[in-house]
Amino acid sequence: MTAILEINDLKKVYEGGFEALKGVTLSIERGEILALLGPNGAGKTTLISTICGISTSSSGSVFVDGHCIEKDFRVTRSKIGLVPQEINLEPFETVMNTVRFSRGLFGKPRNDAYLEKLLRQLSLWEKRGNRIMELSGGMKRRVLIAKALSHEPSVLFLDEPTAGVDVELRKDMWNIVAELKATGVTIILTTHYIEEAEAIADRIGVISKGELLLVEEKSALMKRLGQKQLQIELQEPVTALPEALQTENIALSGDGSTLTYTYDTQAKRTGITKLLADLAAAGLQLRDLQTEQSSLEDIFVGLVQEKST
Amino acid sequence: MNWTAIKSIYFFEMARFFRTLAQSFISPVISTSLYFVVFGAAIGSRIQEVDGVSYGAFIVPGLIMLTIMTQGISNASFGIYFPKFIGTIYELLSAPVNFLEIVIGYVGAAATKSLFIGLVILATSFFFVDLTIAHPVAMMAFMVLTCTSFALFGFIIGIWAKSFEQLQLVPLLVVTPLIFLGGSFYSISMLPPFWQTVTLFNPVVYLVSGFRWAFFGLADVPIITSLAAIGGFTALCLFAIWWIFRTGWRIRS
Ligand SMILES: Nc1ncnc2c1ncn2[C@@H]1O[C@H](COP(=O)(O)OP(=O)(O)OP(=O)(O)O)[C@@H](O)[C@H]1O
Ligand SMILES: [Mg+2]
Repeated sequence: MTAILEINDLKKVYEGGFEALKGVTLSIERGEILALLGPNGAGKTTLISTICGISTSSSGSVFVDGHCIEKDFRVTRSKIGLVPQEINLEPFETVMNTVRFSRGLFGKPRNDAYLEKLLRQLSLWEKRGNRIMELSGGMKRRVLIAKALSHEPSVLFLDEPTAGVDVELRKDMWNIVAELKATGVTIILTTHYIEEAEAIADRIGVISKGELLLVEEKSALMKRLGQKQLQIELQEPVTALPEALQTENIALSGDGSTLTYTYDTQAKRTGITKLLADLAAAGLQLRDLQTEQSSLEDIFVGLVQEKST
Repeated sequence: MNWTAIKSIYFFEMARFFRTLAQSFISPVISTSLYFVVFGAAIGSRIQEVDGVSYGAFIVPGLIMLTIMTQGISNASFGIYFPKFIGTIYELLSAPVNFLEIVIGYVGAAATKSLFIGLVILATSFFFVDLTIAHPVAMMAFMVLTCTSFALFGFIIGIWAKSFEQLQLVPLLVVTPLIFLGGSFYSISMLPPFWQTVTLFNPVVYLVSGFRWAFFGLADVPIITSLAAIGGFTALCLFAIWWIFRTGWRIRS
């Protein structure tokens, strides 16, 4: 089965010469939820805009369900729904009219039964006759989602769906995403919140300064999170590790004074007892011990810093 | 062609117009009536006849032209500038539509609105002056063509404009003077020879002249020239719009 979205070495240079995407390559499977994490200005919105046709790419290619976004733009754009980062809505229109307009704009015949189902699902049915300006911020965001889903897309982009949204609504949003996934929609969302990615994504991508630093299964990433580090300070620095301690999960610091032992907390045996026995056997005196658990945040910050130095 | 999309854009735009229907009609009707009072009654009492037509009737085609040109431009420029301004343009850009479909939807709606208003003004004129239309079909054709070409022109202005001031700038600085100096209220044969020659560089002259021919069977310039002028103007606007969408100028970053 081909990937639903195939991005190859996508580059974007804005008019002023700013390189917002420096060759992004990414493949997204049908029906998965991918969360794109990245700091402000990383290029998340640019990436989405380029795929959806709002900005043009400078080089590289994108395929949606096997169709090129430039040559077959009618096919690819019909398959995509986009919820933009900013709340862009016509203030004087009613909810129903804007949603109906979106459906028509995407070439779908009128289907009020489907729109009713959609608005009910998003708790907007009561407000269908209200003008957009009479809605709360959270409702407006849901109108944007309704518009994006009005033409029954198979891929949905959510650009920071929960920015400036209260905790309860955020949970609502997560439920909506989960329901959509259940209907087979592929979802790509951007967020600044690690917990959000953790809560709903199947895979997590980290983007910074126009580069995709990592894309990994959430479970693999979580497994990394399950790892702990034991740091052992030695009384006397050593130049090399004793033979018995030369395994891949033990590292010696540059000055030879600290050993770092990485282990899995979920494993049956952590191997700590054996390590300590080996240290004693090698005649090494310990000054201090400490353990550390890495969080997704650490991995994320580490990756971003690694790239910027 | 994505006809569903064209229809959606067209009716969405028309709905805006019908929501403010009274407003859309009242102001042109009132200003036209004022023109009749000032030009027709006050000045007309001194000029009386131009080429055998009463002055009051003589200015009707010019007045209609004046209104549909300005309305065409403002409707279309606002129609496309507004989504740019409030950000809803993202949806147009990400929709499976090409430039022609967007143009047909927006320009079609803007042209329809100005055509409505033109017809209302024509109807209003019957209250003020005796009017017979020599070539009704040609009159309608001229009206439709003018509404369309000026709506196309307005569409370009709307895409070009980066602020509401700019949106007003071209109509105010270029179009209004051209229309007033385009023989809306006089026959160019009334001007001294030098100014007659200058006036021939004003494209509006050809439109007003052709439109007046449709009413009274008399024209300042040959009807063929009028048709060529409006055809040329429409083609120029279409080409500009095609270029805009091909390059993404001021709409696609
Ligand atoms: N139209 C534009 N012209 C020039 N530069 C732009 C344009 N749009 C975005 N940029 C630049 O491209 C970079 C990436 O912007 P983008 O909006 O994609 O970031 P982002 O990851 O979505 O950030 P945020 O989390 O703040 O939404 C930024 O440095 C931004 O200034
Ligand atoms: Mg963004």
